[in-house]
Amino acid sequence: MRSEQEVNRAIEQYSNMIRRLCMIYLKNYADTEDIFQTVFLKYVLSSVSFESQEHEKAWFIRVTINACKDLLKSFFRNRTVSLDEIIEQPSEMSTDDKEVLEAVLSLPQKYKDVVYLHYYEDYTAPQISRILGKNVNTIYTLLTRSKQLLREKLGGDGDE
Amino acid sequence: MNDRLKNAFDKIQAEEQLKDSTKAFIYKKTRGYTRRKTAVYRRLIPAVACFLVIILGGYWLYFIPTVEISIDINPSIELGVNRFDKVVSVASYNSDGQELAASLDIKYLDYSEAVNQILTNENISELLSNDEVMTICVIGSDDEQSDRVLSEIESCTSEESNTYCYYADSDEVSHAHENGLSYGKYRAYLELQALDPTITAEDIQNMTMREIHDLIHSLSSDSNSAADSENDSEHEQIENGTGNMHGQSQAQDNGQWQGNNHGNGQGQGHGNGHGNRQ
Repeated sequence: MRSEQEVNRAIEQYSNMIRRLCMIYLKNYADTEDIFQTVFLKYVLSSVSFESQEHEKAWFIRVTINACKDLLKSFFRNRTVSLDEIIEQPSEMSTDDKEVLEAVLSLPQKYKDVVYLHYYEDYTAPQISRILGKNVNTIYTLLTRSKQLLREKLGGDGDE
Repeated sequence: MNDRLKNAFDKIQAEEQLKDSTKAFIYKKTRGYTRRKTAVYRRLIPAVACFLVIILGGYWLYFIPTVEISIDINPSIELGVNRFDKVVSVASYNSDGQELAASLDIKYLDYSEAVNQILTNENISELLSNDEVMTICVIGSDDEQSDRVLSEIESCTSEESNTYCYYADSDEVSHAHENGLSYGKYRAYLELQALDPTITAEDIQNMTMREIHDLIHSLSSDSNSAADSENDSEHEQIENGTGNMHGQSQAQDNGQWQGNNHGNGQGQGHGNGHGNRQ
């Protein structure tokens, strides 16, 4: 079992990332809390020894995505919720950011994590393919299509 | 678009409250970071419990007899038959029965096959040809299986003379084993006791079914007939049959009675004598 210091460090280090992944996958705050508990409990109890920071980060991404998928599988939820409900402090956001996030969230599920991992976490397509366990070419395709979709929604200005 | 996305995502931060509640949750779950990973054996407990239920349930299903077949000539044996019509226990209630049970290998056979084996057994056929009576008693709580078993056995034994089959409810004969009797004998014992309350289980234990039957027969005709002379002669027959014990007790009774008579006579004699002298 891991020590308290380790866990606190991990929480500080990865909670933002996990929060964003939850936002991509889930639709309400209570579920996000569930995911946090599941993920970090798994971390505390796991005996995986990480080779590097990168390894640890990838582990967290994978565990979070799995936990989210499990949660979604576990009961039927098929409602869309406005962004205000997902994010606790919507008032602090500019309308531009809101617009962008809404555009991302409106993408089909398979594009969302790819978009997040690529644009925010700066993973390359081969890295994403390893994390998500998908073919590299699939990732390229997903990225290209999601780029197109986002451009349509956000009134594409052509910048990469 | 890269920057816009980045900025937008940047705005999403895990709330301090969320972090704190997660930390508190982990702390609680691990009991202050002292709890070990759930031990393997604790995870096995439900599995083991299920396993036990299956084993015990299976044992109950298969090894608890639902119908008993009690076969009595003088060897008394009892076959326990489970709900799948298999013989699961063979119990004997006297020394002859033990011998018979030892010579048979009928466990886990179908009950009809087992009964057939017993009927064709040398000892049994010898006893039957010596005009012994065989009773086969089917004991069960009143249900379809005991009816089926009874009719099956009846058809098995239809060719044999001196063989009686009957059914007894398990409540009726529930005290049989306390008295060291098989169910079939106990049932006969109850019948006999209704006619003659002085009869005890020990008397019955080593009597053959022929003797018991004769006794029942004679006692029942006894109570029906009014003539004394017949009564006496039948009594004598019975007592010869049942053994010495009854005969001895009667002799003792007679002796006491004679003694009393004697005493009275002496007393009278003395009294008279005194009176005459004065």
